[in-house]
Amino acid sequence: MDALAKSEFLPKEHVSQKPLVLWRPTAKTGLMSWLTTVDHKRIGFLYGFFALIFFLVGGIEALLIRLQLAVPNNHVLTSHQYNEMFTMHATTMIFLAVMPLSAAFFNFIMPLQIGARDVAFPRLNAFSLWTFVAGAIILNIGWFRMDGAPAGGWFGYTPLTTHQFSPHHDIDMWVMGLQLLGVASVAASLNFVVTIINLRAPGMTMMRMPVFTWMTLVTAFLIVLAFPAITIALVELMMDRLFGTNFFEVSNGGMPILWTHLFWVFGHPEVYILILPAMGIISEILPTFSRKPLFGYPIVVFSGASIGFLGFGVWSHHMFTTGMGAMATAAFSLTTMCIAVPTGVKIFNWIGTLWGGHLKMRTPMMFALGFIWLFMIGGFSGVMHAAAPADAQQHNSYFVVAHFHYVLIGGSLFGLLAGIHYWFPLMFGRKISEFWGKVSFWVIFVGFNVTFFPMHFLGLNGMPRRTYTYDADMGWAQGNLIATIGAFILAIGVGIYFVTMIYTFFRGEVTTRDPWDARTLEWSLPNPPPEYNYRFTPHVHARDDWWHFKQHPDEAAAAKAEHEKEDAGHGGIHMPFQSIYPFTAGIGLLIGGIGVSVVDPGSGRKLAIAIIGGVILVVSIYLWSLEGNEGYHLHPEDEEPHS
Amino acid sequence: MSAPAAPATTGQPHSLEESKFQIYVQIAMLLAVITGIEIVTVYLPFARWLLVTVLVVFSAVKFLFVIFFFMHLRWDKPFCTVLFFIGLILGGGTMFALLTLFGMKESVPLP
Amino acid sequence: MSSTAAVGAIDHHHDPTTSTGIPNKKLVMWAFLASDCMFFGCLISTHLIYRLHPPASAPQARQVFSIELTSFSTFILLMSSLMMALAVNAIQKGNLKSLRASLLTTIFFGCIFLGCQVYEFNNFVFEHHMTITNSILGTTFFTLTGTHGTHVAIGVFWLLLMYVRSFQPKDPETRPAWFLGNVAHIAVFIGAILLSGYVLIELAWAMQAGGASPGTLLTFAKAQALAIVGAVACLAGLVRLAKTRGPYDFGEANAIDVEMMGLYWHFVDIVWIVIFTAVYLLEYL
Repeated sequence: MDALAKSEFLPKEHVSQKPLVLWRPTAKTGLMSWLTTVDHKRIGFLYGFFALIFFLVGGIEALLIRLQLAVPNNHVLTSHQYNEMFTMHATTMIFLAVMPLSAAFFNFIMPLQIGARDVAFPRLNAFSLWTFVAGAIILNIGWFRMDGAPAGGWFGYTPLTTHQFSPHHDIDMWVMGLQLLGVASVAASLNFVVTIINLRAPGMTMMRMPVFTWMTLVTAFLIVLAFPAITIALVELMMDRLFGTNFFEVSNGGMPILWTHLFWVFGHPEVYILILPAMGIISEILPTFSRKPLFGYPIVVFSGASIGFLGFGVWSHHMFTTGMGAMATAAFSLTTMCIAVPTGVKIFNWIGTLWGGHLKMRTPMMFALGFIWLFMIGGFSGVMHAAAPADAQQHNSYFVVAHFHYVLIGGSLFGLLAGIHYWFPLMFGRKISEFWGKVSFWVIFVGFNVTFFPMHFLGLNGMPRRTYTYDADMGWAQGNLIATIGAFILAIGVGIYFVTMIYTFFRGEVTTRDPWDARTLEWSLPNPPPEYNYRFTPHVHARDDWWHFKQHPDEAAAAKAEHEKEDAGHGGIHMPFQSIYPFTAGIGLLIGGIGVSVVDPGSGRKLAIAIIGGVILVVSIYLWSLEGNEGYHLHPEDEEPHS
Repeated sequence: MSAPAAPATTGQPHSLEESKFQIYVQIAMLLAVITGIEIVTVYLPFARWLLVTVLVVFSAVKFLFVIFFFMHLRWDKPFCTVLFFIGLILGGGTMFALLTLFGMKESVPLP
Repeated sequence: MSSTAAVGAIDHHHDPTTSTGIPNKKLVMWAFLASDCMFFGCLISTHLIYRLHPPASAPQARQVFSIELTSFSTFILLMSSLMMALAVNAIQKGNLKSLRASLLTTIFFGCIFLGCQVYEFNNFVFEHHMTITNSILGTTFFTLTGTHGTHVAIGVFWLLLMYVRSFQPKDPETRPAWFLGNVAHIAVFIGAILLSGYVLIELAWAMQAGGASPGTLLTFAKAQALAIVGAVACLAGLVRLAKTRGPYDFGEANAIDVEMMGLYWHFVDIVWIVIFTAVYLLEYL
């Protein structure tokens, strides 16, 4: 494979050619450089930036929920405000915090791990980012309007969300926001699939890829195959709300349960989308800090793929109490128990990685160990749900809330927080203070368990979800008060984590290359990596290639020198041009989305705004295609050499 | 304009290029014929389950001809086929599961 | 070194710069089509689920559907698929004239398919009084076939843009004028189609309402003729003005883009194969 040769499938380079319309943005600093960037590292940073902001927003929503539930018959929130809070807390955390934070790592780290210069379609990558921002805006506009924020639950069950029972625009904004987020996610995932399959460095076979890259691939497949289901469900709901169709209109033959099915056909793979990236991160951190290779790499990869595939066959375990009939209920109960197997296999492999290793208890390792333990507890409560008769009591109770917060916070969030600490030196050249990192870990760990462990008992004692208050004689008061106290401890822990992270970003200790003595290719780069990533395309000889290189310095150096001589003849590094059109296309979607969801019908303004947005989108895409995908050449040997 | 076809790396003979045109036309005619047969089938006095099976088989045949020939999967790398069939099987499986669920007696809407 | 390879030696099935040899654009389109399988799968499921136990007041599909019209449009779409395959074949051999002819035919057939759909929808709404809101059959039918029709329309638009792109001159200096000429060209083309279509539908409706007087018919005919003549005149003028001189910036290297578009178009065809059986033919059993 001649990776540095220009593909025949790209047009011939016309260095002096002016594009047909407008200009080629060339700013490297300032606002325009961010709006026109196609660099996967900058795009990853932006995803992370927005994700962390929305994480705080979602956290505040959670604290308000906990305040309201701290004591019986409380009046912090009205019942409607409470509905808005639990809807937006979930929607924000799932779609605007965890998924984009995962995307931040997919974008920044994955191309570096496979030895690529960028993703396969850099402008499409930027488009995904800006469309995500547009979706996030539309989801949250409701806070500033009379309609209020969406209040139909993060799963939007019909008939509650039909026009009859939710006549205001909050649900329209929820639907439109999610549609845009879906477009962004699918576009990004198509990009990642092609990048991982097609842009690997020579010698990087599929079975030599880091596990994080494998999990990126499986997650991308899940997104590409699961989001269409919710797209259809949302289209049907939107048509019912806007045009009076009958998809969920009982009086004309519609069946609201169809929404529930379609939503969970998406919703279940979605939770695997949320956890697999964190599992990938853990699979990088544990070997690094145990100074041992990952135990059973092929099995871990295969289990990840199995979880992805099986995840499409279990969705009705969210519907055990809907009266599907014994056959259906039993079938889904069985498939749900099956999916616990590959998950358990992974846990055993992680323990096998730790076993006999020389453990270095740095902050990322602490979060990783916390992940294993807490995710396992979440898995136990999950397996309890899988038994349909038991679920009949647990469904819709706080037992479920406990389960998914253990897997989502104890699992996904701990994995992502670990990843931030782990890759911070690579991304920003600074290392986060061990002391403050560990303090934040412990406060978060304690706060999290104090909040959510009592919820297991609250649920088993019958406390229902999504209810804004409860009576003093239900026996739930103590558990709720403890949970609320825990929530504030958790908030303090998150605060410490954020302050530490932000401080380090600006003033932290500058670090050398590869501070953790890690195993995978991205650590061979200077930190932060240069714009073009690898000066010379790496040639991969083994799994954990960077470790292999460090263990066999002489032969590796000789091979490298030979490859570099070869590469030097190719005439510089080919870089993609920046472009404004992904950003303008996102603006078009934002305007169109606002027109469809926010504007009142009747005056013609709705249609006009929607059409204007559509026109901006189409024109942007057209100019994007006319712009072409030529690039320019960089000659780093002309720059100052750095170590 | 095309240079004389010197198939450097494909190994595909020039004659295959020419006959592709003919393959496409022949398949198009086959698809038209099958469509005609489908329309006639609908009016035949056989059991419903048999007719449905026949129609599904004919549709599948047309489907496969288009993806393997018009969409070139037959001559492309196998991974493209694998990729598409993952989506196809998942989509088909989901459809089958949903129809089974809604076909069960517990799912029949109350009168 | 590929940058010095002879143009004629492009291997359209193998890209040596990728790990698998599959060109990136082809791979991304196949991944997208896998996703679209789930998309249409869920939509077709919705329709079929609602046909399992139709409410008593539902319109009888067999009385509403016209199997002749649908068979005709199915045949048309199949033929358009053939023309698309021939277009890809042509550009892979660098044959621009053949490419343009095939693309134009594909567009033409695609437009006929859309026209048939528009006619069908109008017929169902005005003749059989089945609308998207007054019955569940109407809802699922119009949404499903309408979504498919939207995919076809997007495809036709894409094909049109590709067709226009094939005329882009190699000389960068003449491009802006050519580009603006094309914008005007497309605008007039779309305007002429919409106008003619609107007039035709009004005419058909008026005739079916049974009350069209000779005077009305004559007015419609005059308006229609005027629209057609005007559109043709503008088009002819623009063709004359916009015609490029010199070599075109379109050749074998662009075959991957045409192939990518072809995959999309064929997929739209195979979805229709499924819809034709599942939505139309099954109703007749």
